[in-house]
Amino acid sequence: MSFSVRPTVQPWRRANLKRRFEILLAVAIPLPLTMLFALLSNLDVNLALIAVFLPLQLIAAGLVGVRAYGKRGIGDAALVVITIFFSTFVLVLLLSVLFSVIVEGGRAISWQFFSQNNVYVSPTTSLEYGGVGHAILGTLMVVGLTTLAAVPLGIAMAVYLTQSQSKTRNLVRTFTQALSGLPSVVSGLFILTIIEATQMGRSGFTGALALFPLMLPTVARVAEEALRLVPVDLRYAALALGAPNYRAFFQVILPAAKSGLMTALLLGLARVVGETAPLILTMNPSSSTSLNPFDGGMTTLPTFIYNYLASSYQTSQARAWGAALVLLMVVGLLFGLARILSKSKTTKKKASK
Amino acid sequence: MNSLSTASTLRSEDISVWFGERQVLEKVNLTFPANQVTALIGPSGCGKSTFIRTLNRMHELIPGAGLAGAVYLDGEDIYNESTDAVSVRIKVGMVFQKPNPFPTMTIKDNILSGLRLSGRKIENAEELVETSLRRASIWNEVKDRLNDQAISLSGGQQQRLCIARSLAMDPKVILMDEPCSALDPGSTRRIEETIQELSETMTIVIVTHNMQQAQRVSDQTAFFLADENTPGGVVEFGSTEQVFNGPIDQRTNDYVNGHFG
Repeated sequence: MSFSVRPTVQPWRRANLKRRFEILLAVAIPLPLTMLFALLSNLDVNLALIAVFLPLQLIAAGLVGVRAYGKRGIGDAALVVITIFFSTFVLVLLLSVLFSVIVEGGRAISWQFFSQNNVYVSPTTSLEYGGVGHAILGTLMVVGLTTLAAVPLGIAMAVYLTQSQSKTRNLVRTFTQALSGLPSVVSGLFILTIIEATQMGRSGFTGALALFPLMLPTVARVAEEALRLVPVDLRYAALALGAPNYRAFFQVILPAAKSGLMTALLLGLARVVGETAPLILTMNPSSSTSLNPFDGGMTTLPTFIYNYLASSYQTSQARAWGAALVLLMVVGLLFGLARILSKSKTTKKKASK
Repeated sequence: MNSLSTASTLRSEDISVWFGERQVLEKVNLTFPANQVTALIGPSGCGKSTFIRTLNRMHELIPGAGLAGAVYLDGEDIYNESTDAVSVRIKVGMVFQKPNPFPTMTIKDNILSGLRLSGRKIENAEELVETSLRRASIWNEVKDRLNDQAISLSGGQQQRLCIARSLAMDPKVILMDEPCSALDPGSTRRIEETIQELSETMTIVIVTHNMQQAQRVSDQTAFFLADENTPGGVVEFGSTEQVFNGPIDQRTNDYVNGHFG
């Protein structure tokens, strides 16, 4: 047997030392130059990045591009520079938000911050006492109630929009889109008038009601897209085997759209979990732990943050930052959980190979 | 398997088809005797695929579809008011042009999907899976990986899996809409062999663009044609031998000898 020795596994990546050196120069030169310029001229750093660094980097990359590929290299180089620049910009923005929440909120965080409520806490109480346990439970209950109603209904709407041939579909779709532009405070006001008119009393439930019109259109629209992506061939295949419509839907279409529907759930959650305005209008804040969402006051993490951030006391502000960090953790946990749940089944089957 | 049901005779009577205002088929009368393989040939757009879909009531799923005439399955009109489309599709199976196994299911679940989807009880799942896969001549290739996802198979294997999936329902008639058009010659040959074996127990209608395939597999052939701006219809219908070697109509002669289409 004879073996032919392959020179490299990816020949299109073979090193061209000269070009690599040029790229290295194009990457390494503009940034120090910009910094030097900013130092000497006292120019604002952000301004310098956009007004000096970006053009310089574009020119440098363009030069390398021209040397390597001629004219067409310029466009490629510009695209690479602009994409990387703005992605970095957004990434830095996001990371700095995360960083400040972690640093500021980290000071208030301790075990009891998760488990205790705020009943005996005054603005002068030290951070060693009290916590946001009641607000975590409040958020989970209010958002949970909303999800319980909005996800099945939203998916049902999506099913109607994709599977039926009814003529009112376009009307429903237009209304759904209009509803997704509803300002959250209007939704709160709407529920507030209902509370006033019916004398039903504010509770976690009324808060959940106010979140419902916000979550429903998001879930419905994303779920519609997810269901639309399932090839119509699969539906026909199921029907040709003698499946009634409902079985074709539940056994074939729904499983095929599963990960897309999970995205619908997540985006819906993301839409409402940080909502503050409608909850301020429709719920009475409470410092104690409440397990009954249908009666009495209840606090959620966003309303907790809102109430404490307005205070002039440092410990109160620290608690608000701490609550913001907890909110991020809760969201991260929910998202992670949903991803694991939506993937577990298919990976198990693949693992059995 | 000893519970194989006998094949059925299928007959279309004056089938005309519309999509919205446009008529695409005019009075098609064809008889598909039990245990015979019938090939439907003709240029693209002449209504062969549309016609085959009227035979198991898949046609009505397309928005704007219209139909006149009758289709008799063993003497009973499948468009009868009291006949349920679902019960027709259980008796008349279908294989589509593009392989369409259920991507969320394993090979084994795909075979059992028909029974599950039609709400019937599954007895002897293992045996049914093996028999169906054997009849579609794909058993030897997949017997060691029945629990793999169906989409891990090659295109030709996927199509044979789809045939096996239909066979698991034990249909009396099986409709094939260009089943080999996306396949390589090897897979095509195996499917043709499968068709030959299946005709012992069921009636087969196959749409094909491949003249050689029609001659190899079919007992009788119907030639469809649609002139410009007129609905399609059957130009000639007879034994495959006669349609290919002694066509009566000049247009059939031109088509089977490759002069147009």
